[in-house]
Amino acid sequence: MAEKRLNPEELVKYFKDEFKTNIKNIQIKRRAAGKKKNETATIWMKIDKSAFKKVIEHLCKLQFPHLGVASGNDLGNTIELIYHFTLNSGKRMEEINLHISVELPKSKPEIETICDWIPGALITEREKMEMLGVKIIGIPDDRKCFLPDDFPEDVYPWRRDEKGLEKLYKNLHEVKK
Amino acid sequence: MKQKTTTKTSYHIPIGPIHPALKEPVFFEFEIDGERIVDVDVKLGHVHRAVEWASRKRNPIQILYIAERICGICSYSHPVAFALAVEDAADIMIPERAEYLRVIQGELERICSHLLWAGVAAHEIGFDTVLFFTWQVRERTLDLTEFLTGNRITKAITMIGGVRRDITKDMLPRIQKDLDYLKECYGKLGKIFLEDKTIKLRSQGAGILTKEDALKLCAVGPTTRASGVKKDVRVDTSYFAYGDLDIDCITPADLTGTVNGDVYDRIIQRLLEVKQSIDLIEQCVDKMPAGDIVAEPKIAKLLAQLKKVNGEGVGRHEAPRGEVIHYVKLDGNDAPFTWKVRAPTYNNILPWIPMLKGEQIADIPIVAASTDPCISCTNRVGIVKDGNKYELTKEQLHKMSVEKTRRLMR
Amino acid sequence: MKFTMLPSVFAQMFKKPWTNKFPAKYIPANTTKFLADVGAGKAKLIPPVETPPNFRGKIVYDKEKCIGCQLCIKVCPCEAIEFKEKEKKIKIYLSRCCFCSQCNDICPVSCLSMSDEFLLADVDPYSKDLIVE
Repeated sequence: MAEKRLNPEELVKYFKDEFKTNIKNIQIKRRAAGKKKNETATIWMKIDKSAFKKVIEHLCKLQFPHLGVASGNDLGNTIELIYHFTLNSGKRMEEINLHISVELPKSKPEIETICDWIPGALITEREKMEMLGVKIIGIPDDRKCFLPDDFPEDVYPWRRDEKGLEKLYKNLHEVKK
Repeated sequence: MKQKTTTKTSYHIPIGPIHPALKEPVFFEFEIDGERIVDVDVKLGHVHRAVEWASRKRNPIQILYIAERICGICSYSHPVAFALAVEDAADIMIPERAEYLRVIQGELERICSHLLWAGVAAHEIGFDTVLFFTWQVRERTLDLTEFLTGNRITKAITMIGGVRRDITKDMLPRIQKDLDYLKECYGKLGKIFLEDKTIKLRSQGAGILTKEDALKLCAVGPTTRASGVKKDVRVDTSYFAYGDLDIDCITPADLTGTVNGDVYDRIIQRLLEVKQSIDLIEQCVDKMPAGDIVAEPKIAKLLAQLKKVNGEGVGRHEAPRGEVIHYVKLDGNDAPFTWKVRAPTYNNILPWIPMLKGEQIADIPIVAASTDPCISCTNRVGIVKDGNKYELTKEQLHKMSVEKTRRLMR
Repeated sequence: MKFTMLPSVFAQMFKKPWTNKFPAKYIPANTTKFLADVGAGKAKLIPPVETPPNFRGKIVYDKEKCIGCQLCIKVCPCEAIEFKEKEKKIKIYLSRCCFCSQCNDICPVSCLSMSDEFLLADVDPYSKDLIVE
């Protein structure tokens, strides 16, 4: 596996040169901790849906990243997926957190799978399918992961619109007082 | 991993959801050829409690206590990762003393968890005397936790911007006394696990996870380190006081010189980490600066401050089983807009498949237990509706495992 | 063959068991009757293991001090606290309480505190022992 260590600025420059306008809102944050105030860098970037697969490909060729998880937000008109990667592991305090966010239109929430590059992404992609109703194109296993098999169709627990859980939800916490 | 059509030579065994060797519900379906496992399918979700949904009606302070109840063993790791995420989003700097106190609590939890696991692993191969011995040691660690936090399991020690209880000077002798006891027992435990023939027979060469698989499947924690991948949040990043402390990433190669990635390596890995944790607590007690333990002592004021925040943050903490990630997005309401929990076992599910392939049925309990799975953390389960299948109960499986040990001993 | 556990096993045979036999040495045939006997002074209870300092047990509520600010209701993670509009005081349902002591921390007049009482098992979640007011 390829192994090329870049520092946060180099990494950002690499992606900027490669993808230009497809990458927006790049932020490098540094947070200090402890008495010695050592810092850890975090990169947030927003990429266009069309360039997503290419970015992952470049990332894997640069250095095989560790995918923590993908989290999702329902932002009203769009669904945002955030892939949390870590790079440069193994050396003392050199790790970079890389959060890549992709917005998908709600009318057509589709994204390509990254399982062919990172096989470990399978469970998190299955979770996004059942929880947010995102269609993952080319996923090797499209069964439900955490929800039961007889869970109602077209109900996605993390949505905040009419496809959300509201109609299934009972106020179980209300007890007689 | 899709269910394959059964050929004439192989047959299927469903194991779980109530439980193969795990003390928690997960469902395996094995395709077996004779005694060998050909293929594995894992189903999850039987204990999905919709924790993230429950957070939509609660403010960050209330969520701390839901997070604590995600898992009984990582009852410190989850709230602290959530607090880290909120602090990241709201840009709260925590006092230095609180950072040291957080390390002490975290390492104490790691010792408890690894000792619990060592006992369970011994039980799975039918070595119950070691189970009672390790749990006796763990009991002392729990007593120390109770002494420092007030309760044994649900510690309620985390607060956004610090910790809730200080360690005062008069508490230090008790900590030192218990650490000395731990060190003494650690020597004994190490000898049992590293020298006893029974344990070696069952664990060496079983459940191998190669370095490449560990990397590709994004395994975390002791599971990945036992395969030789150097990945430890405490070493790789600077959070809490870990940046100040003398800490190095441990792999089994530090003791044996080679990395095989089998169950035996995972046992060594956890034992070495117990020693590392004892050392870290001692370092913290020595180096701890004086000062405040929480950034904003007035909780009502803190809540008002959090309500103004508009932003997102990620908290990563090395829990006993591996890296736990919490993602929080605050949008100016009482409750956070999104809260996503990623427990370590979530990433350690896929590595089960290469580990279990090619093993014998009697090895299932110890191999499955070797990643220290915590299904409640991962908070999900699967249901089998097919009643016609041949099913092994947990007791039968455990019996088979014990019988294999006896067979090997002869 | 090496039996590393054998010395410990033998040593254990001559040690006093660590277990505290609470509430009686042998399990009573009828627990409620046994507890009634203890109350009447006919039987003796083996005391439980001592709780550590700062243990979080049953909540103690000082009604006089309470100013009815409702901050505790705001932070309670399990909605165990109810506000009594008329009196401007609170009512705590212990059957819902998770003993986090967060309400103790936020109380501006410190009218709430944690005792070390932990024997709170009951068949009725609304019994008198489980409601603090």
